[in-house]
Amino acid sequence: MTLTTALPSFPWLSLLIFLPLAGALLCLLHHRQATECRWLALGTTLATFTVTVWLFCIHGEGAAGWLRYEEATWVGAYGIRYSLALDGIALLMVLLTALLQVVGVLLAWSVQRQTGLFLALLLTMESGLLGIFLAHDLVLFYLFWEIALIPMFFLIGVWGHERRRQAALKFFLYTLAGSLCMLVAIIALYLIHGEQTGHYSFLLSDLLQTRLTTAQEFWLFAGFLAAFAIKSPIVPLHTWLPDALTEAPAVGSVDLTGLLIKTGIYGLLRFAFPLFPVATATFLPILGVLALIGLFHAAWSAFRQDDIKRLLAYSSISHLGLVLLGLAAWTLTAWQGSLLLMVTHGITTGALFALVSMIRQRTGSRDLRQLGGLWSQAPCLSAFFLLFALASLGLPGLANFAGEILVLLGTFATHPFWAAFGMLGVVFAAAYMLRLVQGVLWGEPGPATAGAAAIADLDAREWLILVPLALITLWLGLYPAPLLRPLEQPVLALLGGLP
Amino acid sequence: MTWLDLLGLIPQLLLLVGATTLLLAGAWYREPQPLFAGGVLVALLAALAAGTCPPPTTEIAGLFHSTPYARFFTIFWALLAACSLLLSLRFVTEQGLPAGEYIALVLFAATGMTLLSAASSLVGLFLGLEALTLAFYILIACNRRCPFSAEAGLKYLLPGAVATGFLAFGIALIYATTGTFALPDALHGLQGESGLRPWGLLGWGLFFCAVGFKISLVPFHLWTPDVYQGAPAPVAGLLATGSKGSVVAALIGMLLVAGPLWHDLTGLLATLAAVTMLTGAFTALVQTNLKRLLAYSSVVHMGTLMVGLLTQTPAGLAASIFYIVVYVIASLGCFSVIVSFAGPNGELQELENWRGLGRRYPVRGTVLALLLLSLAGLPATAGFMAKFAVFHAALQAGLLGLTLIGLCAALVSFAFYLRVIMLLFMADESSASQPAGSVHEHAVLAVCASAVVLFGLFPGILFDLIQRLLP
Repeated sequence: MTLTTALPSFPWLSLLIFLPLAGALLCLLHHRQATECRWLALGTTLATFTVTVWLFCIHGEGAAGWLRYEEATWVGAYGIRYSLALDGIALLMVLLTALLQVVGVLLAWSVQRQTGLFLALLLTMESGLLGIFLAHDLVLFYLFWEIALIPMFFLIGVWGHERRRQAALKFFLYTLAGSLCMLVAIIALYLIHGEQTGHYSFLLSDLLQTRLTTAQEFWLFAGFLAAFAIKSPIVPLHTWLPDALTEAPAVGSVDLTGLLIKTGIYGLLRFAFPLFPVATATFLPILGVLALIGLFHAAWSAFRQDDIKRLLAYSSISHLGLVLLGLAAWTLTAWQGSLLLMVTHGITTGALFALVSMIRQRTGSRDLRQLGGLWSQAPCLSAFFLLFALASLGLPGLANFAGEILVLLGTFATHPFWAAFGMLGVVFAAAYMLRLVQGVLWGEPGPATAGAAAIADLDAREWLILVPLALITLWLGLYPAPLLRPLEQPVLALLGGLP
Repeated sequence: MTWLDLLGLIPQLLLLVGATTLLLAGAWYREPQPLFAGGVLVALLAALAAGTCPPPTTEIAGLFHSTPYARFFTIFWALLAACSLLLSLRFVTEQGLPAGEYIALVLFAATGMTLLSAASSLVGLFLGLEALTLAFYILIACNRRCPFSAEAGLKYLLPGAVATGFLAFGIALIYATTGTFALPDALHGLQGESGLRPWGLLGWGLFFCAVGFKISLVPFHLWTPDVYQGAPAPVAGLLATGSKGSVVAALIGMLLVAGPLWHDLTGLLATLAAVTMLTGAFTALVQTNLKRLLAYSSVVHMGTLMVGLLTQTPAGLAASIFYIVVYVIASLGCFSVIVSFAGPNGELQELENWRGLGRRYPVRGTVLALLLLSLAGLPATAGFMAKFAVFHAALQAGLLGLTLIGLCAALVSFAFYLRVIMLLFMADESSASQPAGSVHEHAVLAVCASAVVLFGLFPGILFDLIQRLLP
């Protein structure tokens, strides 16, 4: 068998999921040798990233239908299948996951306590996240959905900051409450489908054929929505996120904001919307309004925070409001913008969380009232901070701008008022971001920055983290087309499902 | 009883003869280690005999089944007895208890469990249950130096005696109305009857009260936390797993042959199940003692199992069998961790004492966390597939309300299991030095942990096996 015939048939998706898991096991076995574990974890995440980049290279053009599909029987008695599928949307999310996990391992280099265990959890979470984006069987999806929770619970609870235990428990129980609602809905949908067709299956493609009455649709949609709305988080259900993000260690914050909350949005558009089109059509206007409320409420809350991490947490909720607005607009442009914004927000906010942890390591504080005047002492660090903050507020030419403008344009086509309000929300983002930049970089040195004798500038590892992220931010701001291209077909297919 | 019947009872006879031999041997020979080796050997032989000697008949003396279903649980309880003996060795040695008696009692209890799960008539059920309970009366109070142990013994004895009374009276009423002890007939006879039917129903009501005592359904559960707390951990482990499991297995066996029958009782039992799940879960939240917490956790699990039984469908019963097997494994594992941390000065019971233990003893801490998460029902552990199967069957049978209550209880359960895990791993203080635990205890732990992971990742193995047991 030659290489060209062997490569396409190789189970690349399974490899993606099991590679980090294998790395995690190795890290557990060698958990006493911290340095070895670090290199092992870095090697694993880099290998995973390479595979995703390769997948992107061969499937970057996008296509209708699945780009890759793998399947095997898992639990025959219940018709549960181990089934993975990749389309353009999943490809983008997988790429983001693999990239942020490499960054995560580099960030975790400075973790001193129980490093092996920390990295093992991080890699397990990568497996879970990749599984969420790739699973095509609903029970498999639920499995990965929960598997990604446990490592995050431990990352927050063991390596977090002062109020870590409460935050970890709140995070877990909040999301679990939603997940259990989804589980009931999944089983109910499976039973209804089985009774109609005599073929019991949890495959998404099978369940899409189910004929549901309106009442059934609404109840089942509510079950799915409970899980995804809490995870995304849609505004009245968002209160767990600021606590979890603030108390999590740096890597945890990056993963939580960059990836875990994106799984909620992904679940909405991959499962909830296509499975229940009638309920979705009714719900979309409500979603739009909730998104706008979230956008403003979170932006306003962000403006009032003194803790940088809390500020960034609310800014994440605000950005996610914009993403949801794009989904609610239900046009190709808006959806492409939303998905692009999910990726760019992951990168820019991830970078900001990384920078916050670097600042905290140097000054021992992340309070805006304590910091200030960092530019004069650590110019390189400050320059990166400025760059990512500007990207986050949507400066043209930087990553977030492309996504935001697409969302607003796409929304304007169907709901001009929503777009106008959304535009105002983006202005709000500028307000809190500039306050952040002002409080950290400029002005008189605060007690924390003045107290520290000499604040070191970036070291080699930190350069290694920030430079690629900065380059990607610039690239996506100037030329986002390569990421939009694979999205077109699957998004059109999803958009066509509405009655 | 004929010669063929005796052939069918070979596993039980092996257990009884072995137990008696070891009891006598213990009178002359006081060294515990070889006696325990003998006990484990007897239990394993019984399991082997049950697995390899095909029974000549399907029913023994009109009292017990020897169907594949009965044989499966015979093997299972025999293996459980072996594990339980492995867990007890260090405890018995350190407390200077007479090894022969202890081993004999555990094997007698195991015999009771195997008979109970195989019961095909109400008399067989009564015999099995009493054989089991009598052994436990002594085992729970066996550590006479510990006042809690004696208290627990008394607390098990009194409700147990009441339950026996209920059971005997209930069976008498059922017999009076239907004229038979045989299980499907005793249920079928009730259907057509007109005048005596209320008495028969009362009989079944009393029967289920007694069952409720044994598997601690709310409101008959109050003895459970006290007995768990006072009983020595190896005994509490056996009590939590085998004693409850075999009663549930008997109920499942009864429903398997009877088919859907009791619509008069289902309302009552559904209420019991719902109240049991909620009360157990919320009470467990405020416990400060690990063994009491596990007691309430078992209450929740028994409530969930009742949901599986109430479906009265083959799928629901198969799910319940899966559930009980997984519950027994995970629960036994949790008690083995407690046993392994117990020393001459007693057991670690208060949750405060577990603070930071997971950091100091990462292997046992991780295993305990894994087993607790399996009890909670986290995906990729066996506990998830068990809950999934039960709630799936419940939804299929239209028990939406019970399913939602069950999931609510599952959510609360996560909260109290996670509380223990957080104490183990997320406390700032490091704990005091604790015993390392013996090789036997670690072996049992390894078996439980790997079974939980194996059945979690490949539940098909167990589901396929269960499918072959069903008639």
